[in-house]
Amino acid sequence: MDLALETDQLGKRYGKRWALRDCSLHLPTGCVAALVGPNGAGKSTLLHLAVGLLRSDAGTVRVLGESPYGNTAVLSEIGFVAQDTPLYRDFTAAELITMGARLNRRWDAALARNRLAQLGIPPGQPVGRLSGGQRAQVALALALAKRPRLLLLDEPVASLDPLARNNFLRLLVDSAAETGATVLLSSHLLADLERACDYLIVLNAARVRLVGTVNELIAEHRHLVGPRHGHHPIPGVTAVVQADHTERQTTLLARIHKPVADPAWTMREVTLEDLILAYLSEGDTQAGHTEWEVSA
Amino acid sequence: MIWLVWRQHRKQALFVSIGLVLIAALMIPTGLTMRSAFVDNGVAACVRLLGDAELVPINIRSCQGVLDDFNNQFQSLATVGVLFFVLPLLVGLFLGAPLVARELEHGTHRLVWTQSVSRRHWALAKFGLVGAATLAVACVYGLGMSWWMAPLSQTGQFSRFNVYVFDMQGLVPIGYTLFAVALGVFAGTIWHKVLPAMAVVLVGFLGLRFALTILARPNYLPAETFSYPVQGPTHALNPTLGNWVLSVGVRNSSGELVQANGTVECPVGAQGPGGQPCGGGLLGPDAYNWQLYQPGSRYWLFQGIESGIFIVLAALLLFLAIRRIRHIA
Repeated sequence: MDLALETDQLGKRYGKRWALRDCSLHLPTGCVAALVGPNGAGKSTLLHLAVGLLRSDAGTVRVLGESPYGNTAVLSEIGFVAQDTPLYRDFTAAELITMGARLNRRWDAALARNRLAQLGIPPGQPVGRLSGGQRAQVALALALAKRPRLLLLDEPVASLDPLARNNFLRLLVDSAAETGATVLLSSHLLADLERACDYLIVLNAARVRLVGTVNELIAEHRHLVGPRHGHHPIPGVTAVVQADHTERQTTLLARIHKPVADPAWTMREVTLEDLILAYLSEGDTQAGHTEWEVSA
Repeated sequence: MIWLVWRQHRKQALFVSIGLVLIAALMIPTGLTMRSAFVDNGVAACVRLLGDAELVPINIRSCQGVLDDFNNQFQSLATVGVLFFVLPLLVGLFLGAPLVARELEHGTHRLVWTQSVSRRHWALAKFGLVGAATLAVACVYGLGMSWWMAPLSQTGQFSRFNVYVFDMQGLVPIGYTLFAVALGVFAGTIWHKVLPAMAVVLVGFLGLRFALTILARPNYLPAETFSYPVQGPTHALNPTLGNWVLSVGVRNSSGELVQANGTVECPVGAQGPGGQPCGGGLLGPDAYNWQLYQPGSRYWLFQGIESGIFIVLAALLLFLAIRRIRHIA
């Protein structure tokens, strides 16, 4: 299996605080992966490590088999759209395309121009005067014009309205399919990702909580509803991710390795959103209690 | 990269050009007027008469009058020099401080550093081109101001070694300007915001300038002394050479300073009240006038030393900035 992105025990520290820790994951080529987590979970840090903006403090990161830090050969294979889609605001879209041509060995200016023409984005207006959605599209067009094999996007839709968000993600998925690029896209908006992505990485409090293809993850998890439950193991369940107890009833979100045969439990399928929320709340409280120095 | 640097800075280049043209429009006509007056009023002849002798006879009084007249006529123009005093600071504030800080503040470094050009290349191209342009501009106003000040400098009062005049012409504006720009660039790599970077330029630049001017410059080389008698002095330091007089005073026969910041001169045979020798009661016998000065001939050497200090510091700051840029995400 070819890997677009590969990290092993990857860690990054700012002072004493680890922004990312023990991050090991393998991103196969051709997938559209979502990197999900709350603000401050380490999403940007992971993406910056992948694009070579940051140097790791622990472990390794490899993009297309090579270390990205200070490596312009790898850099030319990566398209990157940073958070808040930064662009030189006094440049026109046409000038930004010229800039890309000057700064890259491989540059498909026609691709960028065609995209922006289709979207009706004026070539001669400073991009600072375009709407947020249009700016995001310009940034995406610039990233795609590198004809990258790996496309990294840091919260590209966070500031867009629902319609623009939808358009952006649709075009992103289409172009990824066209060019065969692997996409890694960070976000904290869950509903959008469900439609766009086939691979999921959940990051919380600097650690990877969950990683895998969406189909597998959905297949491996179930809601289980049954009588109030203590701590004894349930046959078929590998791990309990989340448990809600009422007086008489227990609802679990569990990872299973085979269907739970015990008739006391009712199984229900999980949605991607359920899954993400369950894994996010898992790490949350722990960090909070330590930081406030109170007991859980 | 060259295209990008030009595109990013063309507006600033335009403003700087306009500024230079306006300054030239002011300075060239006044400079020419001053030069023709310098010849027409006989100042040039006078300066030639005094020559480049270290000491000149004190009795060339008519010449002193011509020099003073010229000074009185044009000294108000010399206030224009304040402009040149602040030019390096302005360049540092508006060209140096935003150079990296604005990219970091707007996040555009993440756009430009993730194209296929290394950060080192980016930094070298940007610093190199902006630095070269700054150097060219600084040469124009530094050496241009030297040309403009030349007549005034030779008449004694606005000696080119004078603290403010020294600062606004010759090589030092080049050093100051490069330093101010480099300080702004470096501050940007630490604070990542334009305003703090500008504040650092303001404080750092003025602080170092004052410190060096007051504490270091008088001591780049040991100063020389010149003494002459209280009564009937015959020679004085040649005013046209532009010596930098650091302090004057009157010392008694054992060398103690009996009067600071002043001189006493009386003609031969003059007597004070009660038949005492001139100043005798106050100063004691054998008192003499004393001057501590840096000879005008050291002007270019001092210019070289001071601009050298600033250029070395500028290079160091840029080196550190490039190193810091490697660790910014």
